[in-house]
Amino acid sequence: MRENKAQAWGLIAPTLTLMILIGVIPVLYIIYLSAFKYNVFSRVGMVYTGFNNFRKLMFDQDFLKSLRLGLTFVVLCCAIEMPLGLLIANLLTFEFKGKGIFRTIMTLPLAMAPISIGSMWVLLTNPDIGPIPFYLRKVGIDYNIGVNASQAFFTTVLVDVWHWTPFVTLTLMAGLSSLPKQPYEAALVDGANRWQTFRYVTLPLLKPILLTTLFIRIMDTFRIFDEVWMLTSGGPGTATRYVSIHLVRLVLQSMEYGYSSAMSLFLLYLTIVMCWLLLTFISSSQEAS
Amino acid sequence: MRKGINVLLVVLLVLGLGGLAFAQVANPEWWQKAAEPYKGVVIKGISESTPPSKAMVEVAAPEFEKLTGIKVQFEVTSWDEMYNKSIQDLQSGAGIYDFIYVEQDIIYAYLEQNWLTNLTPFIQNSAITEPNFDLDDFTSFINYFKDAEGNIFAIPFEAFLKSYIYRKDLFEDPEIQKAFKEKYGYDLAVPTNWDQYTDIAKFFTEYGKEKGIELYGHVAQAKTHPCVAYEMCESIWPAWGIYNWGINLETMRASVDKGGTLNSEQAKKAFRWYVDMLQYAPPGVRTYTWDETAAVFGAGKIAQGLIYLENIGWLATDPTRSAVIGKIGVALPPTAPGVLEEAKAGKGYIGYYDGGALGIPHSAKNKEAAWLFIQWCARKEWQAEFAKLATRVVRKSTFDDPLIKELDPKMGGYFTLLKEQGHLFAGAPPLPMHRPLNEIYLKWISKAVAGEISPEEALDNLAQEVDQLMEELGY
Repeated sequence: MRENKAQAWGLIAPTLTLMILIGVIPVLYIIYLSAFKYNVFSRVGMVYTGFNNFRKLMFDQDFLKSLRLGLTFVVLCCAIEMPLGLLIANLLTFEFKGKGIFRTIMTLPLAMAPISIGSMWVLLTNPDIGPIPFYLRKVGIDYNIGVNASQAFFTTVLVDVWHWTPFVTLTLMAGLSSLPKQPYEAALVDGANRWQTFRYVTLPLLKPILLTTLFIRIMDTFRIFDEVWMLTSGGPGTATRYVSIHLVRLVLQSMEYGYSSAMSLFLLYLTIVMCWLLLTFISSSQEAS
Repeated sequence: MRKGINVLLVVLLVLGLGGLAFAQVANPEWWQKAAEPYKGVVIKGISESTPPSKAMVEVAAPEFEKLTGIKVQFEVTSWDEMYNKSIQDLQSGAGIYDFIYVEQDIIYAYLEQNWLTNLTPFIQNSAITEPNFDLDDFTSFINYFKDAEGNIFAIPFEAFLKSYIYRKDLFEDPEIQKAFKEKYGYDLAVPTNWDQYTDIAKFFTEYGKEKGIELYGHVAQAKTHPCVAYEMCESIWPAWGIYNWGINLETMRASVDKGGTLNSEQAKKAFRWYVDMLQYAPPGVRTYTWDETAAVFGAGKIAQGLIYLENIGWLATDPTRSAVIGKIGVALPPTAPGVLEEAKAGKGYIGYYDGGALGIPHSAKNKEAAWLFIQWCARKEWQAEFAKLATRVVRKSTFDDPLIKELDPKMGGYFTLLKEQGHLFAGAPPLPMHRPLNEIYLKWISKAVAGEISPEEALDNLAQEVDQLMEELGY
C-alpha cells in the first residue's frame, strides 16, 4: 500500500514540479512585488509600500475606466455571441444544400491567429483604403475608428463576435447532438410545436453546456488583447483601452512592476470570483435538472 | 536544356555578386584571421524593422558569414517588440542576444543600469579591431553613444533627420503658384514659419477637394501609439522652441511652476496647432504611425509634411513602392520666431537627429564575435552602398563618396541637408527614464488628439504627472 502511494507520488512529481515552477512561484513573486513601489528605471530601487499599490488602484481613474470598459465589452460580446451561436447551431441541425461549405467557412476565423485577425480588420476599417468605410460613406455614414470613440468600441465588439461566435456555435452543436432523444419523443407525443420543444426541452437540457460556454467566453473576452492591440492599440484616446491593454502598457512600456503586480492580482481575484459565481450557478442548475 | 542554362545563369550571377561583394572588403585576410577563433559560433541580434536593419540582415550578414564562418541570427521586428525583448534580456541577464539595437534615446537608460558592454577596450585591441576602423571618421552622432568619460558603448549604423518634405512638382506648378498667390497674397515656397505651413496645408487640402483628387496638405503620425508622443517631443515642440520634452534638465521637472516648459503657453499653442492641423491630413491620419506617414507620402497623396527621412531612399528611388520619384524636395522644418537662431547659436535645436547603433549586452555570450559583426556593418568601404540601401550616413567620408553625390539630387538634396544642416538638429535629451515618460506623454497626448479633453488641459495634467513620476523615480 505504502509502495503504491510512493509510486503515485513519483508519477505525479514531474507535473507537480512543473506546476510549482510555472504556476505557484510566479504568483508568489507577483504577490511579493505588489508590496513594493518598483520601476526598472528608478534611482531609488524597490521601496516597500505595503498595501499602498492596492489602495492606489481603488482611486486610479485610468484603471477604473479600463475596467469599466473591459466589463462592458465582456457583457456586450457575450450577449451577442451566445444567442447568435445558439441560433446558428440550431439552424445547422437542419439539412440544407451547401451546409458543409457554410460550416467550413463559418469556422475559418477560429483557425486564424488573433494577431492576424487584428491586422486584417485594420485593413478592412482603414479610413483611406478600407472597404467598410468606403461602402458606409456611400450610404451617408462617416465611419472612422481613428476618430470616433463609439465606432472604435463597437468595431472591437464586432471583431470579437466575428471571431468567436463560431466557437460558441461549434460547442453548442456538439451539445445539441449529445442530447437524449426521449424528451423530444415525449414532446412530440404531447403535441408541442417547434418553439415549445426548443423552449421547454432543448434549452433546459442544454443549460449546463450553455453556461460552460458562457463561462469560457467571459474569461476570454475579459482578457482580450491581440485583436484590439493591432486594431486600435487602445485608442482613439482611451476608447478601447481595455484592462489587459492598460496592464500591458503599464508593465512593458512604463515598467511599473510593483503597481502592475497589484493590478494583476486584483484582476486574478476578480476572475476567480466570476468563475466561482458561474460555477456555483452551473452546479445549482445541474442539481435542479 | 533551357532549365540547365537558367541554373548556370543563376550560379554565374551568385558568383558574380559574391565577387563584387568581396571586392568591397578592404582587408579580407584580416577578417578571416580575426574571426578564426570564433568560426562556427552563432551570434544573435535584434533590431527594429527599418531599412538599415534590413540592409544588414539581407546584405551585410550573409557576406559576413561567408567570409568569417561566424553565423548571424538577426531578428528584425517591430519597434515595440524590439524594445521589450531587448530590455527583458538586459534586465534578466539571460544573454539571449549578442548584439542589440541601441536607439539613441534609450542609451541613457541602458547606461544608468550598466546594461551595455564598454566597447573602448575592444576598439583598443588590435586582434579584434580592424586597422582601418577609424573612429575619427564617424560623424558627431557617435558622441551620443559615449558615457561621461568618453567610453563608447555602441557603434552607430543609422542616423537620419525627421524634417520637412514636400512635393516639388506641385510647388513648382505655375497654375498652383498663381492660385496660391491669389489666395494668400504671397508666393508659394518652402515654409519657414508655422503660419506659412498652415496656409499651404489648407491650400492643398482644398485644392485636392476642388479637383476631386486625393491630395492633402499635411500628414502626421497621430495614432494612439508611442509615435504620437515622439512626434510632439522630437519634431513639433523643438521647432516651436520647447526643448527636452518640456523638462528642465536641472530641476528634472516639467511643469512651469517648477521650472519646466511642458505646460507653458508656447507648448500649449504648439499642441493646439498640432491637433487643429489634423483636419488637413487624410481621414485616416489618426491611424497612422511613422510607417503610414511615409507610405501615404509615397502614394502621392501628401503635398508636405514632417516625416522620418530614413524613408527617403525608397520614396525617391523605388518605383514599386513610390509614386513620387523625381518629385521630392527636402528642407528644414518651419520654426517659431527665434528658434532657428537659437539652434544656430547652439542653444536649442529644431528637431531630432535620430538614429541608432549596435551595442553588446553586458550578458552577451559571444562578445568578440559580435564586435566583429558590428565593425563589419560600420566598415568604411561599405558605407556608401549601405547609405544607398538604407538612406543613412554615420561616417564623414560617406558624404564624399561619388555614389552618394550622385544620389543626393535624386533625394531632393537630403544628404547635403544632413551634412550641412545636421548640426541644427540634436539627439534625444539625456532622460534615462524616457520609456515610462513616453507612456505618460502618449496617454495625455492621445486623449487630446482623440478629442477626449482639450490640448491645454492635457498638458497641465501631463506636466503634473511627469513631475510626480520624476519624484517617484528619485529625480
